[in-house]
Amino acid sequence: MTVENAESDGYIELKFGPRWKYIAVVRGFIQNFLAVGFSDDARADKIAMAASELLENAVKYATGEETRIRVGLSPKTGEVDISVSNKGSPEAIAGLKALWSDVMAGDPLEAYVRRMREAATRSDGKSQLGLVRIRYETGGAMSLDVSGDLVTVRLKYSK
Amino acid sequence: MNSLGIEQIKQGKVTIDVSDIPSGLAITIVGDIDMQDPSVVLDPLFDKVHKGAMASGLKVVNFDLKQLAFLNSSGIKGIAKWIMNLASAPADKRYVIKILQNKSIPWQVTSLPTLTFLVPGAVQIE
Repeated sequence: MTVENAESDGYIELKFGPRWKYIAVVRGFIQNFLAVGFSDDARADKIAMAASELLENAVKYATGEETRIRVGLSPKTGEVDISVSNKGSPEAIAGLKALWSDVMAGDPLEAYVRRMREAATRSDGKSQLGLVRIRYETGGAMSLDVSGDLVTVRLKYSK
Repeated sequence: MNSLGIEQIKQGKVTIDVSDIPSGLAITIVGDIDMQDPSVVLDPLFDKVHKGAMASGLKVVNFDLKQLAFLNSSGIKGIAKWIMNLASAPADKRYVIKILQNKSIPWQVTSLPTLTFLVPGAVQIE
């Protein structure tokens, strides 16, 4: 039998049909999960915001009912890992790859301001600001993995 | 009611009030902006404020976000769109957007200052 203690690594994993109304609930749940693990509400808020932005993208662009989010934390090292996976159409995946390249290029603040200016001219209802917001405002290490029609975005935060 | 005739807005988890202040206008937002398409609420509001402020020669719009607990990136787009209107406004019609922030809300500390880079001189953070 394993006895957990306060320094044990922990994680939560949720799998749900992507619906907008669930996002605020999941955001609050993740915020609480991280705040309990780190006793740092501000850090938990920031990371929960990042998770929320990824979930918004999943609801907007995913196909099927396979959206999954996993949040892992290590109280000992202070590291947090988040991954959001969903299936996407070839068009959506191509669009994400192009957006990713643009968002990750150059200085994070300059990219953010440039994307905000571009978003202000859009009339298609999209903002495409979530990823660049995460990059600049949370400072996490971001990675994108595409395997067939499965898309996974990972965020990693060091203490 | 305010001088521009803009009524209170209640949509989802957010309430927006517009009121008159000396030499300008105040927009107060309370709650969460986390709906899928905030432009339905924000675009008409900011359009009225922008056109009204220019037509009336207002000098300042206080944008009170101290009780805005959450703002998603689609909401940021809506605010950015409003600010970008000032880039093409005639110099004598321009007004300043003063954002009143709450530093105890983490996203406000990182998100709001970025808005000052959109149009130089158009936005102040207090």
